[in-house]
Amino acid sequence: MSATTDALLTARRDRVFAAMADADLDALVLGRQDNANYASGMHRLWTAGTRPFGAGCVVIRSTRRTHVLSSWDAGLPSTMSIDDLYPATWNPRVMAANMAGVEGLADARRIGVDEVSPSFARAAARFAPAAEVVPADDVMSAARRHKFDEEIELISRACSVASAGVEAFLADPAAGVGAVIEAIAARGVTIPSSAPVARRLPDGYTVDVGVIVDGYEGGLGGRFAGGRRLGDSGLAAACRAGATHHDLAAAATGEWLVRGLGMGFEQPVINASLGRNEVLEAGMVVSVTDGERRDVVAVTTTGPDILSGDQQGSSNG
Amino acid sequence: MTAVLEMVHAGAVSVSTAESPLPDLPRMRRARLDRLQHQMREQQIDAAVLLHGPNVTYATGFLPEAVDASHVIHQRAVAIVPVDGPARLHAHLSPTSAAQQLEAVDGAALWPELDDDMPRVRRAIEDAIGDLDGKRIAVDAITGAMDRAEILRGAELIDATRVLGPARLCKTADEVACIERAQIINEQAMDVARARCVPGARRSEVAGALLAEFRRLDSDHNEIDPIFQVMPRRLADDVRSNLGAAAFPTGIEDPTFAEGDLVWVDSGHGYEGYASDYGRTWIVGRDPSAEERACFDRWKSIMTATIASIRPGATLADVGRAAIDANGGTPPWLPHFYVAHAVGLSSAEMPMVGSDLGAEFDEGFELLEGMILVLEPVVWEDGVASYRAEEIAVVTADGCRLLTGRPGYLPYEAP
Repeated sequence: MSATTDALLTARRDRVFAAMADADLDALVLGRQDNANYASGMHRLWTAGTRPFGAGCVVIRSTRRTHVLSSWDAGLPSTMSIDDLYPATWNPRVMAANMAGVEGLADARRIGVDEVSPSFARAAARFAPAAEVVPADDVMSAARRHKFDEEIELISRACSVASAGVEAFLADPAAGVGAVIEAIAARGVTIPSSAPVARRLPDGYTVDVGVIVDGYEGGLGGRFAGGRRLGDSGLAAACRAGATHHDLAAAATGEWLVRGLGMGFEQPVINASLGRNEVLEAGMVVSVTDGERRDVVAVTTTGPDILSGDQQGSSNG
Repeated sequence: MTAVLEMVHAGAVSVSTAESPLPDLPRMRRARLDRLQHQMREQQIDAAVLLHGPNVTYATGFLPEAVDASHVIHQRAVAIVPVDGPARLHAHLSPTSAAQQLEAVDGAALWPELDDDMPRVRRAIEDAIGDLDGKRIAVDAITGAMDRAEILRGAELIDATRVLGPARLCKTADEVACIERAQIINEQAMDVARARCVPGARRSEVAGALLAEFRRLDSDHNEIDPIFQVMPRRLADDVRSNLGAAAFPTGIEDPTFAEGDLVWVDSGHGYEGYASDYGRTWIVGRDPSAEERACFDRWKSIMTATIASIRPGATLADVGRAAIDANGGTPPWLPHFYVAHAVGLSSAEMPMVGSDLGAEFDEGFELLEGMILVLEPVVWEDGVASYRAEEIAVVTADGCRLLTGRPGYLPYEAP
């Protein structure tokens, strides 16, 4: 079912191990689905919204193994074995035993987490008594910051699914958001990254669609009239390697946001007041919102590559 | 109660129920904040800092969008709750000043994920709580940025589950009304999905029809990628697992349905954030056979007996035993789950019956009025067929009331 190749899974995992070495982490305990997916490649049931922090995925540097919370091997990538799974439980004592069973966790000195709760901190003190538990959301974020070519292809494919949703609505505006949902479902996609917008205006439509396809996000948005997207994408065009907060602010025409996009919403987050020290780098992919317009842009050494391009609307490249 | 259930499951009678009461949302919000602050006082907690969606909703009424976690996390709503007085809400989506409608104090949007925004997060917490030194603060999530900036330094941190758990355990009548409305919408939309679940259809198409119908019913709070999982007839044909039972819900395949497929269906959709839970088993493209009907009949007798055991004062173990006894001594549920769980602002919450919390836990836990039990017994005749469906019961003063089964359903819902 997954379109992700073993080569990509391995490349991502290698990046995570390298980042762990740089940050002197023996283990990572990841609660967030996107981080767990990035590190392991395991596909699991999607649920909306936040989850309480828990060990969804454990990465051990010494054994170079990723372990995932799952009671079965459905969704298991070929880069993992069923022995790398630990089962779902409601019982904290069982969970502690599961953690004790992960080779290399009990004697870890430094465990990185992508979020933490008081109860997890207490539990960790028992299953890894010698360990210091430290924040590692930034380690994961840095590892994910630059995209592999295959990731850019997957994002591009997700953008084309979102685009099909937009076109379906423009073809049948009376069907509303339902047209968007059914059109993307016809392409096998039922996971929204953001809430779909499909509104009729006196002189056109406002549409914004975001989806997750095989773990990667795609999307686009804007004001449409006569079948085409209105306005320019000056901010998207400004997303060049080396672009600073100042450059982006100068190119924006409305309320704006430039933020990382990959396996969902990522960092950096740059808007009028945030990310003043950020600089865009080749290999990053960003979602670029300027007023109602939203594009997905790959920052390359030769300029911005607009992945959410529509045939008529965009003249940038 | 039992009589009504018999009617519903007999399938011959369309049960017309009286209009369920509409929740009084302002009253519900006040009651929830009262319960939360009562728990905080009981446990000498000075304030709560909440980042987890259902907890924020419970404290303030604000509903985060039902979208991908990565988006919700980065654009988190934060609730800061002092032990007295209104909660403070910091939300990204407040087109019409959500907080004013919600009677929470409106604060500016925060970005607790970002190191950049920590000065503002610190100020927001200090504005609401004052000096943290020596205070007992309940917290449900600490982001890396908050950790690095030592935002909660000086305070004694208590897991927020300790106050939110007991506060959320028994539902008010308004909360029950929300669950009931969510369930009505879910069941209504499922009629459309059922009609689309025919040979040659893909899971995603059927799921898309369901999600689109939610929108047509003016509802935008789908909480789970809808599950339409084709189950093997024989366990030996299932994916590998260490359960000795069916692997469900794996939630990852997108099969094309064929005639005779046995499809376990599960969807969760919220009203004011309160989860519904639709569980059924469908057969694709034909009527159930005699053997399949026998599975349904056995499931029905288990469900009937289990429901009959629910009343205030009964323990979780009593409910579990009723299910086991009706199944000839064997637990009729998936071992990685339970025979019953609650719903509320989360789709699976306490109490749970028959979970791996163990027999002692179940023996020691008594049902109280206002608790919810979603019963989900499973009948599995290996090599023949299976049946799994769910009923939501709310514990009443002298028994329970069902929030599901409107307008009644047929075995396997053969169209």
